Amino acid sequence: MNRHKSVIPGFGISMGITITILSIVVLIPLCSLVVFSAKLSFSEFVYTVTRPRILSGYFVSISTAFIASLVNVVMGIILAWILVRYDFKGKRFIDGIIELPFALPTAVAGISLTHLTTTNGWVGQIFYKLFGIQIAYTRIGITVALIFIGIPFVVRSVQPVLEKIDIQYEEAAFILGADAKTTFTKVIFPEILPAIISGFTLAFARCIGEYGSVVFIAGNTPYETEIAPLLIMSELQEYDYSAATSIALVMLGISIVILSINAIVQASVSKRVNGKI
Amino acid sequence: MELRKENRVLKFFFITVSFVFLGVFLILPLIYIVVTALRDGIMGYLTAVSDEYAIKAALLTVQATIWAVIVNTIFGIAAAWLITKYAFKGKKVLSTFIDLPVTVSPIIAGLIYVLTFGRQSDLYPILDSYGIQIIFAVPGIVLATIFVTFPFISRELIPVLTSQGTDEEEAAALMGAKTFTIFRKITFPHIKWALLYGVVLCTARAMGEFGAVSVLSGHLRGKTNTLPLYIELLYQGYDFTGAFAASSILVVLAIVVLILRLVIEKRGQKELDLNK
Amino acid sequence: MGYVELRDINKHFKKFHASKDINISIEKGKLVALLGPSGSGKTTILRMIAGLENPDSGEILIDGKVVNNTPGSERGIGFVFQNYALFRYMNVYDNIAFGLRVKKIPEDKIKARVTELLTLIDCQGLEKRFPSQLSGGQRQRVAFARALAPNPQILLLDEPFAAIDAKVRSELRTWLREMITKLQITSIFVTHDQDEAIEVADEIIVTNQGKVEQAGTPQELYKNPATPFVAQFIGNSVEVKNYEQFKHFDKQSDDSIAYLRPEFVSIFKKGESVQFASSAEEAIVEDTIFRGSNIEVRARIHGNLISAIRSINDAEIKVGEKVDVFIYRLYVVSGNEVILETNSSLKDEEVVI
Repeated sequence: MNRHKSVIPGFGISMGITITILSIVVLIPLCSLVVFSAKLSFSEFVYTVTRPRILSGYFVSISTAFIASLVNVVMGIILAWILVRYDFKGKRFIDGIIELPFALPTAVAGISLTHLTTTNGWVGQIFYKLFGIQIAYTRIGITVALIFIGIPFVVRSVQPVLEKIDIQYEEAAFILGADAKTTFTKVIFPEILPAIISGFTLAFARCIGEYGSVVFIAGNTPYETEIAPLLIMSELQEYDYSAATSIALVMLGISIVILSINAIVQASVSKRVNGKI
Repeated sequence: MELRKENRVLKFFFITVSFVFLGVFLILPLIYIVVTALRDGIMGYLTAVSDEYAIKAALLTVQATIWAVIVNTIFGIAAAWLITKYAFKGKKVLSTFIDLPVTVSPIIAGLIYVLTFGRQSDLYPILDSYGIQIIFAVPGIVLATIFVTFPFISRELIPVLTSQGTDEEEAAALMGAKTFTIFRKITFPHIKWALLYGVVLCTARAMGEFGAVSVLSGHLRGKTNTLPLYIELLYQGYDFTGAFAASSILVVLAIVVLILRLVIEKRGQKELDLNK
Repeated sequence: MGYVELRDINKHFKKFHASKDINISIEKGKLVALLGPSGSGKTTILRMIAGLENPDSGEILIDGKVVNNTPGSERGIGFVFQNYALFRYMNVYDNIAFGLRVKKIPEDKIKARVTELLTLIDCQGLEKRFPSQLSGGQRQRVAFARALAPNPQILLLDEPFAAIDAKVRSELRTWLREMITKLQITSIFVTHDQDEAIEVADEIIVTNQGKVEQAGTPQELYKNPATPFVAQFIGNSVEVKNYEQFKHFDKQSDDSIAYLRPEFVSIFKKGESVQFASSAEEAIVEDTIFRGSNIEVRARIHGNLISAIRSINDAEIKVGEKVDVFIYRLYVVSGNEVILETNSSLKDEEVVI
């Protein structure tokens, strides 16, 4: 049926390859998650995910991910701004190094950040001696690791949008008598807001699920610094697949909510900018 | 004039903040890894990185990475071609499923495979009768690596193919060219830089994957330990020199990736400008 | 029977009905334009003939054979895309040779054919250039040569002049017309520009909202618009609702309206015309536009702003001036009917003579 729709040959083979690999890697495993979940008893599921230790795990994951993503929103806007609008020495270096969190294995980042921020680490001792603040093995440490992980998201989503904003808009605002601050808040900020939201939600979703960089720095004290992915991991190590799946389902639910909010925001923005769809 | 003056102060402030932020969060950890790796001298470093298990772990990482790159390249090209060249029902659903793996926590990715291929699964007895073991074995590690890097290549190709349109392929098809001729002669030249870029990103992520691999690996030293898992093992055994020495290999690879990324981006951009 | 025929063709894009009961017949060797506003379905018709789209129902015939299930590549057509779709990563030579190489023609024959075509399109010496290094006009000619290379029986061109700037465009129109006449190849091109269609085509098929409104020579369309749409689409028509207020025109039916073209109107300075002195009406000039070779005068009459063309040799008319207007004829559209109404004073004169 579909094959006749296009003159370009190759529909069958590309569909075949795509569906085959997608099935093996994503669809079948996803189905088995659904099948396994369906076998869970509801009361057991509720009992598992409402255990205080699990609830605290969700709270730790969400709160640290949220704060880290907020920090990255602020730094992401500044970084995108200097990369697009300013010329300075080391610009290319900064542009390149921003992707480091994507390229550096999370475990490597994790152990390094941990050692730096312990009470006798290079950075940790400064905070400990001056302010009495411990970073490693606390929620602050988790936040630090998540900031590291989330750095590229906001920058990379705001940067291209900022590049596209014609300097003429600002010149127009300037000629109309707006000062730099007004120009930014009224002209530029509304333009990049959708990109900021998209960067934020992507970073947030990624940080909630992050494991490798966090396990080392977290210290993993129950009720204090145990993150949700770690709880899944420990259930798995005890071969309690039901509990692991229950915790995972709630996390998947949270991710879906976050990503849907972003999708709705982006859809309404594109509607406003492009008129009807 | 006033605008300019105000900008200069802001500019200095923003640039300083950025350098400090990136310096502390990105550069310092790199320096720390190198310093710690070398703290027992160059001989200590060489001993640590030439450890039999370190090399075995590195080889397993290479193996998993190569598989991930091969599978995702084939998949990425087929999926990107399918999505951008044809109109069909269910395209949006397909795109969602392709992007799904990166939005899922790596731990959950691991869990999904455990549920699919583990002892409690219906597939287990079938696979077992053929002597195939996936969980806590190399195939599991490979699958997990493919999963976490799944959309990396298709995601780079789709925007390029979308902006290129389908006119050239239609023109070639009207002249009677077959699938592979069209792909090789018409489409491939457009996507070669994006493809290379995707391969680089895929490689970077594949060699560093920790969470998903950690779930699926049996943590058998010399058998199912990838480099990141080996680093964890050393670290937990308080062999910090060894852990950071092994890490330094991955740091070097990460830096190579970043440089390649910049080079490819520049080359690709140049060619794009030429063909505008 | 036509060389290319479409019979009862229907085509939907999701819910959009792009082609409604299309029936077209095109004779061999003719140069035909598919003319219509954007979204009128003209490109869809072209793409269906090429096999780039498939109709939901109906038959497409080429040379008497139904080709609905024949792939585009086997229909013996050459296609020039709107943006030419030149292969950006191949030089001019390889672009033109592509269709021949696909057919596994020996390389020496390919070379001869490409050289021949390069001479035909006057692009010798550009073989090694890439499309990005060509001017708009050169790109179009290369696209033309590439489509012609495998010796197609039919040439299809989608908005062939749309991407070219105005000055080169008129040159290319003439060039294309000459080229196609010389090659005797059945050609169909899509355009939204009526001047282009009238100037280039032997025959024009007017489309609107997925339907074929009228097919005929440019003269026929001009003189006998078959549908209200054609009456108002062809020429620079001005819509006139109260045409019965004009001297010597009567209302045809209650809901009828009229279309008036500049060439149906003469505007005279007061006292300039003796012939129409009694049957002319007074109007006030609101605008005069210098068009280089002539002057367009716009005047208000009975609430309608109508246009007429005056020669630059005529006495100058100023804005605000009172002038005499004589209307020779107009198209009255009543329901689905189009009637050419002539000024009744002219009829009287004919009777007198």
